[in-house]
Amino acid sequence: MRSKFSSLVCLTVVLCLLTLNVASARAGLVSTEASMSATHNVENRAFVKAQLQRDDVQRILENKGLTVAEAEQRVDALSDAEINRIVEQVGDMPAGGGFFGVLIGAAVLVFIILLITDMTGATDVFPFVKKAN
Amino acid sequence: MPDQISGGGRKAAACLALLLLALATGCSLYGGVMPPSPSGDPLNRVHGVPFYAQEEYQCGPAALAMAMTWSGLPVLPDELTSQVYTPSRKGSIQPDMITAARRRGRMAYVIHGADSLSSEIAEGVPVVVLQNLGLSWYPVWHYAVVVGLDRETGEVILNSGPTRMKRTPWRVFENTWGPDFWGLLVLPPSRLPAVAEEKPWLEGAVGLERAGQPAAAREAYASAATRWPNSHDAWIGLGNTRYAGGDAEGSAEAFRRAAEARPDSGIAFNNLAFVLNELGRRDEALKAARKAVSLGGPQIETFRRTLSDIERAAP
Repeated sequence: MRSKFSSLVCLTVVLCLLTLNVASARAGLVSTEASMSATHNVENRAFVKAQLQRDDVQRILENKGLTVAEAEQRVDALSDAEINRIVEQVGDMPAGGGFFGVLIGAAVLVFIILLITDMTGATDVFPFVKKAN
Repeated sequence: MPDQISGGGRKAAACLALLLLALATGCSLYGGVMPPSPSGDPLNRVHGVPFYAQEEYQCGPAALAMAMTWSGLPVLPDELTSQVYTPSRKGSIQPDMITAARRRGRMAYVIHGADSLSSEIAEGVPVVVLQNLGLSWYPVWHYAVVVGLDRETGEVILNSGPTRMKRTPWRVFENTWGPDFWGLLVLPPSRLPAVAEEKPWLEGAVGLERAGQPAAAREAYASAATRWPNSHDAWIGLGNTRYAGGDAEGSAEAFRRAAEARPDSGIAFNNLAFVLNELGRRDEALKAARKAVSLGGPQIETFRRTLSDIERAAP
């Protein structure tokens, strides 16, 4: 009897909390933090795509048998988190240093982009990369 | 017989001298030269910084209290100790210095390098610095406040430890300044530093929001929107904090500016729609909500929900 009652109370509380959560997460104002991370994602994606327009990068892609259009489509298919990982890795390169402005070695850049697309299963260039399903 | 030293020996001596020179200068980023004053004055002094002598291990609270009091918020080191000092480490870590400033409604802005330091001192802003007074493999960390740069004597003027206006040769200061030439500005949220950049300033404003200082955050967003009128995120922040402060009209205006700054921002139109609806301007709200849904993006579910809420509230 008592356990039935307490489980009923539990269920009610859980349901109330759930509906509360859903309501506050769904409607209304988007937070400044969410907006800033959206801005960050848009900038990073634009950065990666701009790099694909570089002559030296395009030459290396062609050497690997990839057209620019194909590489662009693969980049489009990456999630924001994956794009951010590319930019992060490029930023960590000792020679790369900067973000905008400083030129990152084309070969390194292509390597990183293909590495990430490999990991997500979009490409299969490097045999040592464990594929996502 | 000094003139009989062989050529090889001379070369070796020259190499050794070069090597020593490289060792002496190699580890300092600016080669021991103080960056020039942006204002052209040989002496830059920061005024209005009080002096609190530190007690044992309490250089963090003392340095922060000096900077905070300068910023117009009188506080004593003891009052900050519990928020900054970690007893087990016998010290204060940098993130705690930052959050302690935010928790009192002050903007904490991190700078790096001698050029930024020089610019801020010339603007009359004190800079909290972290020094390693020991060795790289036996560090002795110490916080001090830079309150002046004297280019005639080549000295840095510091409120440090028990000494007010301690003069240290630039070369010595530079070799102890680290890691990463880190400096902290503690500012009223309405005062942008000379070297301010949009992103770190806005992140600081978000930090103020998180620290439960909505009014300070609002001021920080307002000064960002003034300095960078095309900053979408500054206007979003201003809109959100104005709304939280009960100023719906002002909030709608800020979101409108965000949408102007970035006409493809679904977030700006969604937030504008929500506030317009609250203000009872349903037709405009519907229009903005539809625009947000048509623009899409990762928050599309929120946009749809906002639109359906407004539609459901039909008269």
